[in-house]
Amino acid sequence: MSNEFEQILQTFIQETKEQLQSMETSLLHLESEPANSEAIAAVFRAAHTIKGSAGLFGLDQMVGFTHILEDILDHVRDGDIAINKTLIALLLECSDHIYELLKVTAIEDTEMSPQALEREQQLRQRLRAYQIADIVSVPAEVETVVETVECEHDLVASDLWHISLRFSADVLRSGMDPLAMLRYLTTLGRIISITSIADRLPLLTELDTETYYLGFEIDFASDADKATIAEVFEFVREDSVIHILPPHSKIAEYIQLIQILPEADSRVGEILVQSGALTAQELALGLEQQQAVRSEGTAELLGEILVEKGAVELAVLQTALDKQSSAKEQKRRENNYIRVQADKLDRLINLVGELVIASAGTRLIAQNSQNTTFYESALGVTDLVEEIRDGALRLRMVPIGDTFSRFQRVVRDISHELGKEIELRISGADTEVDKTVVEKISDPLMHLLRNSMDHGIESPERRVAAGKFPRGKLSLNAYHDSGNIMIEIADDGAGLNRQRILEKAIERNLISPDAVLSEAEIDNLIFEPGFSTAERVTSLSGRGVGMDVVKRNITALRGTIQISSRPGEGTLVRIRLPLTLAIIDGFLVGVGSSNYVVPLDLVQECVELAEAERAAAKQQHILNLRGEVLPLIFLRHHFGLEDGQPRRANVVVVRSAGCKAGLVVDELLGEFQTVIKPLGKLFSGLRGVSGSTILGDGSVALILDAQSLIQLIMQKENHNPDWYGGEAGVGRTQQDYRGTLQ
Amino acid sequence: MAKTVMIIDDSASIRQVVSLTLIGAGYDVQEASDGKDALNKLKGQKINLFISDVNMPHMDGISLVKSLKGHPDYKFTPIVMLTTEGAEAKKQEGQAAGAKAWIVKPFQPAQLLKVVSMLVI
Repeated sequence: MSNEFEQILQTFIQETKEQLQSMETSLLHLESEPANSEAIAAVFRAAHTIKGSAGLFGLDQMVGFTHILEDILDHVRDGDIAINKTLIALLLECSDHIYELLKVTAIEDTEMSPQALEREQQLRQRLRAYQIADIVSVPAEVETVVETVECEHDLVASDLWHISLRFSADVLRSGMDPLAMLRYLTTLGRIISITSIADRLPLLTELDTETYYLGFEIDFASDADKATIAEVFEFVREDSVIHILPPHSKIAEYIQLIQILPEADSRVGEILVQSGALTAQELALGLEQQQAVRSEGTAELLGEILVEKGAVELAVLQTALDKQSSAKEQKRRENNYIRVQADKLDRLINLVGELVIASAGTRLIAQNSQNTTFYESALGVTDLVEEIRDGALRLRMVPIGDTFSRFQRVVRDISHELGKEIELRISGADTEVDKTVVEKISDPLMHLLRNSMDHGIESPERRVAAGKFPRGKLSLNAYHDSGNIMIEIADDGAGLNRQRILEKAIERNLISPDAVLSEAEIDNLIFEPGFSTAERVTSLSGRGVGMDVVKRNITALRGTIQISSRPGEGTLVRIRLPLTLAIIDGFLVGVGSSNYVVPLDLVQECVELAEAERAAAKQQHILNLRGEVLPLIFLRHHFGLEDGQPRRANVVVVRSAGCKAGLVVDELLGEFQTVIKPLGKLFSGLRGVSGSTILGDGSVALILDAQSLIQLIMQKENHNPDWYGGEAGVGRTQQDYRGTLQ
Repeated sequence: MAKTVMIIDDSASIRQVVSLTLIGAGYDVQEASDGKDALNKLKGQKINLFISDVNMPHMDGISLVKSLKGHPDYKFTPIVMLTTEGAEAKKQEGQAAGAKAWIVKPFQPAQLLKVVSMLVI
């Protein structure tokens, strides 16, 4: 059980996080559109679900706090409380507090800190202002016990319970089965006698099979208490007539029962005497006394009032509900999801990786076997494996939007804190990317956004002075680009101050004072460790740690980051990330006796390096490709493979982050599904190689890191970077100039 | 033959607790995440009891009750509503629609089992 419980608790934690997220999203939505009933309903539902689930786990603190929220939201939904900015801000704080409660009481299973409790008290205090007394008073429970007219304390002799049942005609239509109730009753004791009352039964021709006509008089032997017996009929109590008299009740109670039951008094009395509930004397005595007192049946009147009152509430509520359901249904979360544990998925993907390698091996053997049928069948298997690979990888893909929408809140809070007006626009939220990448990209993105808000976007006064709208614009955009995901963060702020960056870089000894750098190179200096240009250090950014960490995180994901800026117009940060970290389509090339893999997405074309051009190319390290200057990297030379001259040479044209280069290789071996195996720690400093893979014949091939190879040739040719087009120098930092690969 | 109970709730943890409790007591359990999902999953199979949340996206519990009451296969099937305490008005509306049994959340598994055994014989 404990294991199962643990699992359910995990589900609950995950679910509550999602609910809080959706609550936050809807609240932010309400901020711009306070009348959106759909969003109000969503916020209410989130609070409702959190409260309901938390109760299951005995998280009373969470239940108690969320209950207040739910209550207020209920009134908001009904239009009793108007939603405004103050309330939204308060609710956002409350959702933070619920998250804290979740973290402390459910995840860490500890006590809330005194500060947190103090905060809860304050929140409760502020919430109190919105708690209005219930307009709808809760009707008192209809008491099923018949109030006796106090006359004589004569008790009946019978030691049995007496139960009178007159089921409502609709009982079957309500889904309740009287027979089931009687059967359940027998689990509490023994039915001594039962008399069916069929007085309401119509003629067969008029009989409606869906209507219930019967009633019962039961004498029941049981040690159970009244509440337990009454519980059996709990769900039919309100529509049906149920009377339960305990053993040795007063005669007067029986008399009253006789009068209340719809059948003729004499008939009921007869049944009671027959079943032994009452003796004939007891009945006679009771009736006599009753004559004398003659009380009014006030109880019934009360019931009528209640019904009427109920009907009024119903009408009010119906209108509210109609309004709500006519609102468009939330389409975003079609709940057709299966939750799978991430490690199961990882195992599957690992296995698929092995399958890819194994199938490549089979294909190779088939190819060499000269057996055409075998080869064809191996090709068929390879195709399927490729599809399985894509399918398996797609399982890990999640839309990046969930990460993005979290930033709305951050931007809102920070812009308030900074006294700036900033609006965040999100596009491409549906773009899918590997879950691991999503998890790891969140922090760097957060930092970049903060940076843009803190340093990029100016204060409203300065913006107006610069002829801009006082409200700053920040945009977050994601899209797919040739096997990569691109994330762009743009602001319309002041742009980078290149003069200050240069001064700072010189001051911090990042570059020599006489260095000549292009604009792009200056901009990218901000990714250097220990660099900060903010004139004052705020709590958000400017401590000088950050941009270099951002770059390091992104590099660790095999991604690149570049920044471009126009003074006075804004800054654009562009992050390029691989879609997945596990398997890529590669292009296999041979140099001497070694094989290398180039990520296929980067390969633009392959050209043969003609014998005649080779000597010149080798000397100048450039090639004239249809009038364009293409820098060349001789892999043979680069990796120190000087074993003889190749018969032929080919150039693989690769493009990365806007730069083109040619890799000179001996052989082109074609497409190859590459399962990336990371290199050990020892090789982590190695530039130009990003990983390794195992080929079908079991040998190892290195995966080339085209980006860093291109950077390498750039640094060689650094006296004239304009060769490589406008984006030259992108992603390159001063550090790269100092290090060399060989 | 085991009796089948369908639990309709948008909270996966509630569904899991209900499922676990009922499966442990020998019932078959089907799950649905909201009213619409429940109606989609009903293909004329025998359901002995519905347990439904009130507040759900897409189609709430009250509308589900109304649909079930109009459904020839399920109009006589008992429905237990799960609700939080502050919903007296909703409760009346639900009862008017034909859901007579209400369990107040948070409920204890034992309490749930008792109600289910009362309604499913």
